[in-house]
Amino acid sequence: MAAYDPILTEIIRSALNSAADEMNSTLIRSAYTPVIYEMKDCAVGLLDENHKTLGQSAGLPIFLGNLEIVTEYTEKLYGREVWQPGDVWILNDSYIAGTHLHDMTVYGPVFVDGELVGFSTCRAHWLDVGGKDAGSTTDSVDIFQEGLRVGALRVVEGGDLVEDVTDLLTRNSRFSYPARGDLFAMIACVKTGQGRLAAIIEKFGVENVKQARDEIFAQTARLEQETIRAIPDGEYHAEGCIDDDGLGSDPIWVRLKVIVAGERITFDLRETSDAARGPVNCGASQAISAARVAYKLLISPDKPVDGGAFSTLDVLVRDGSILGAQPPSPCEWYFSSLGLLIDLTVKAFETVLPDRVAGASAGDSMVIGIGGNDPRNGGVPFLLYEPTVGGWGAWDGGDGQDGLINNVNGSLKDMAVEIIETKYPVHMVYYRFRPDSGGVGRWRGGNGVERKYSVEVDGAWLSLWFERSVTPAWGLAGGGSATPPECWLNEGRPDARTMLKINALPIKRGDVITTRTGGGGGYGDPTVRARDAVEKDLREGQISPEAAREHYGYRP
Amino acid sequence: MPKHRVSMDIGGTFTDVIEFNEETGQYTAGKSSTTPNDLTQGVFDGLAQVLESVPEINFLVHGTTQGLNAFLQRRGEKVLLLATEGVGDVYQIARGHRTRLYDVHYRKPTPLVRRSDTVELTGRLRYDGSERTPLAEDQVRAAAARFRSEGFGAVAVALLFSYINPEHELAVERILREELGDSVQITLSHRVAREWREYERTSSAVLDAYTGPIVRRYLENLESKLLDRGLEVPLHVMQSSGGIISADSARTMTLQTLLSGPVGGAMGSLALAKRLGKPNLIGIDMGGTSFDISLVIGGQPDVSNEAELEGFPILMSVVNIHTIGAGGGSLAYHEAGGLRVGPESAGADPGPACYGRGGTQATVTDANLVLGRVDPTWFAGGTMKLEPSLADKAVAELGGAFGLDAVRMAEGICDVANAKMAQAIRNITVDRGIEPREFSLVAFGGAGPMHAVFIARELEIGEVVIPPSPGAFSAWGMLETEVRRDFSQSFYGTLADADKAEIARFLSAMEADARAALIADGIGAEAIRVSFALDMRYVAQEYTLTVAVEGDAFPSQDTFADSAARLFDAAHLSRFGHANPGAPIEIVTLRATVLGELSRPDPVPLEAATDAAYPFETRQIVFGKTEHATPVVRRDALRPGMVVPGPAVILEQTATTVLPPGTITTVEPYGSLIVQVGKEN
Repeated sequence: MAAYDPILTEIIRSALNSAADEMNSTLIRSAYTPVIYEMKDCAVGLLDENHKTLGQSAGLPIFLGNLEIVTEYTEKLYGREVWQPGDVWILNDSYIAGTHLHDMTVYGPVFVDGELVGFSTCRAHWLDVGGKDAGSTTDSVDIFQEGLRVGALRVVEGGDLVEDVTDLLTRNSRFSYPARGDLFAMIACVKTGQGRLAAIIEKFGVENVKQARDEIFAQTARLEQETIRAIPDGEYHAEGCIDDDGLGSDPIWVRLKVIVAGERITFDLRETSDAARGPVNCGASQAISAARVAYKLLISPDKPVDGGAFSTLDVLVRDGSILGAQPPSPCEWYFSSLGLLIDLTVKAFETVLPDRVAGASAGDSMVIGIGGNDPRNGGVPFLLYEPTVGGWGAWDGGDGQDGLINNVNGSLKDMAVEIIETKYPVHMVYYRFRPDSGGVGRWRGGNGVERKYSVEVDGAWLSLWFERSVTPAWGLAGGGSATPPECWLNEGRPDARTMLKINALPIKRGDVITTRTGGGGGYGDPTVRARDAVEKDLREGQISPEAAREHYGYRP
Repeated sequence: MPKHRVSMDIGGTFTDVIEFNEETGQYTAGKSSTTPNDLTQGVFDGLAQVLESVPEINFLVHGTTQGLNAFLQRRGEKVLLLATEGVGDVYQIARGHRTRLYDVHYRKPTPLVRRSDTVELTGRLRYDGSERTPLAEDQVRAAAARFRSEGFGAVAVALLFSYINPEHELAVERILREELGDSVQITLSHRVAREWREYERTSSAVLDAYTGPIVRRYLENLESKLLDRGLEVPLHVMQSSGGIISADSARTMTLQTLLSGPVGGAMGSLALAKRLGKPNLIGIDMGGTSFDISLVIGGQPDVSNEAELEGFPILMSVVNIHTIGAGGGSLAYHEAGGLRVGPESAGADPGPACYGRGGTQATVTDANLVLGRVDPTWFAGGTMKLEPSLADKAVAELGGAFGLDAVRMAEGICDVANAKMAQAIRNITVDRGIEPREFSLVAFGGAGPMHAVFIARELEIGEVVIPPSPGAFSAWGMLETEVRRDFSQSFYGTLADADKAEIARFLSAMEADARAALIADGIGAEAIRVSFALDMRYVAQEYTLTVAVEGDAFPSQDTFADSAARLFDAAHLSRFGHANPGAPIEIVTLRATVLGELSRPDPVPLEAATDAAYPFETRQIVFGKTEHATPVVRRDALRPGMVVPGPAVILEQTATTVLPPGTITTVEPYGSLIVQVGKEN
């Protein structure tokens, strides 16, 4: 074998990352479902013949580095010879891929001169995969209520679409055209990756690519080892809870112990609560991914992910806990515990990496769903389904951001008022910041937002999934906790009702729904906050005069 | 008779001037230093290089970065924002969007208007434009009082659903004019863009209000000085869309000029596509810190309906310029045993090691110098001397970390940089569903011609075109472009059920506005072309494709819905590699673009050489790890009929073209170098 060539290695490294970017743009630009194109609820990756990541492109952070589980599983099930040129596969089973059934993983082998050289994979969220309620359910008690469960299925054989499998997959969705469109977008994405990886290997030669790969993985591992060696050895802890399982359970605890020893780091999650009856469970592979996101946030935020990443990280998960879901535990809201885990990891490093941490954020997606039939269009069904932005935590040197999409999601944009009112029989009365909701501190936590919807149709339904009220976003270094979220039906009226989670509650014309997201945690002692910062918050209406007086000791 | 057509590209450092003499059919280039405090000084310095006096000008166009600079330096007007009650925070929330996925310290861009400078007005329309709540006129008068007392310089008005019914915005304008007079900048969001999505429309209106007064004052100043010197024709201004408009029109739609600077090069590629009969071109412009890519596809410019500037969305027609962080200043460094090149840059200060300003890290420019591809005495047209020993030292030091000598290291740095630029081009073309192999590469800007052949070979592109005066190509592009105006109207409905008579009415109304606008700009009715397009998508998709509709697919035809659906399916297939025929399609926006052709004489071809020999010096330059005795030729010595085999280097005032072994270069009749890139040997 030739000596290490740093120039060729770097050219191959950037070619692999560039190929993953191409896959990503193929998927995002042509996908149907808003959660793919706007929330970037998707991920793409190129893997080598050993299922190690060669290149991955930005997508949903919590899909980070676990696409390989799916190709490994398929190979284990059917043997290595199952891979055939021109084939594309699909899978969504929660206990394999780790997420909910909405997330379809589409993947296919890459061959050069008859040799299996790698895999092209992508994962994206489908709007509806069957299940007992349209879109999503908040009160499922087993996986079978959540939709169609797909093991490893061939959807393209020798380059041709398998029509009966496609029909099975799309027939089971309430939105079958979009499902078909998203499936095609995902197949196109996988084919792009297959073509690009094959072209790279043909151009540079299979041995050169393998040698470059080994070197690239080694470089990434070295970088991470250096970073971890710089963190003081020790055990660090954090714990917090999600409010309930959607069926009114007690709070569910996520408990994290981080052990740093030399160049290795261990996330021990085994003390986390037992599996819940409601849909807050998560497959182990996805819990590992979330741990990797937290690790990446703190250790290597700007480096691309490849097969050398996370080699210093061990994640311990207990089967049968909410982070190690076993059949038939429901998994629809698998991500609530993961957003919490990420915030907890940041907290655990409060004293060791003070310049990288921040107070907790408002939590995860904070979803509202309103569905029914739209009389303006001859009664066709409509489904307004949106995550809501919230406040982010403050850090040493900066206030948290007001009204920003949570860390678990990608780069979502909220839905425009003009689009909501045009597409759905709903009037948005207001959309504004929620002053005083961020935790107080020398650096203030970001504020959440309020959205008020007025229903302009009869016979509709409401679903809510708002979280993080039992342990609202905490502050660090003496900073205060944030105000938790709050949702109302008909606030201030005799029939007022408040709740954070509900499944398909009947609502009618004239009903008014108000959602308020939580703020982010503060950082540092509020009494030393700069006077001009307090005055600016007052002028900008982000804090009230009462809060200025009470928490910041402000006197005009 | 005036007989000089002149264009000026006012950049950050230099003002480039191109003059076309209608009698001789020849172009002349000039260059002056940009004078930031009063740009007119640099303009007149540049003009003096190409003509005797201003009255000789019979056509004058320029591109200005005045508005953009005001934005970049955040020294725009203090803006008061008037918004609909309940949603005034939309501009601050900025859709809750973040662009970095792994950053717990993420910051959104700081809005150009403070929350406390936003006034919410009672008054609301429904989605169909009907009135839900009447406008509270007294609140508008109160806002006007605040404008006067608090020293605001401009007003942006962005009310919900104004794109479907502008009455409330117009009423606000009427009251503000009564209160504040005619000279105050008032931007109405529906005039900037008649498209839905309140945050994007507000952001566009705010940017217009923020930069408009500055651009207007500048245009008035420049025009009055030109008039003083006897200019007899209207001044024209380049727009972000790649077309030009009269300065008169530009004053009322200043936002359209915001991104006009870099689009000149893309328009130059478009003009070159027509002149050379090569409809598919990829334009590359490489400077010190950035690498800009633009496309001409099937003889058409690549225009989007939306842009983003430092995170702020703008709804307007913009020629797509894709910028990546790669340039002569890109730093090469060692990381965990690997080699990296860019995107970090040495910038202008300290700049590459060879600048001798204290930079010690190797850059792409240093690597080119080590290889002999840059003449140290002729950098930036001889305005700067380079220190080869400093480049050698920096590159050798990096090479030491990998066990490579300076020459091998230098070639490696260039190889990595070229591969990355080629990959950036590939990603952009894939995103557009096109194959780079079917394109020619046009290289301009200072460093583009130095790297073009290497980039072309990476992409299996067969031909590279180096236009005359590549450093002033952007100004040349402005001279060759047409008058253009774009009109849009949100229209939401499924293609199958849409009221096509209503669509046709909207399109005719836009056409009438468009024709009137061009006639007011002095374009003859016979020189005007109007084209129509619909933004469509499959129901439930978000991104739209803009599909031109004419003939069978025009909304007045019975065949409209079927034909437009077929066109959309075909566009989707070609762009994304798949389509969903039979799936319902919806219309989102109607568009009309009007182009006004400017009559102008053709340039005269260069005289062909009678003797195919050309003078040259010989220098040792490294290609493919070995030194080659390489002819160095002055560009002005080259004539049509001459053939330059690689290796060779062609020098001119503002650029250096590097032609490795295996290339064959000819000169086409209008002076462009046509390089058959061949294969590395």
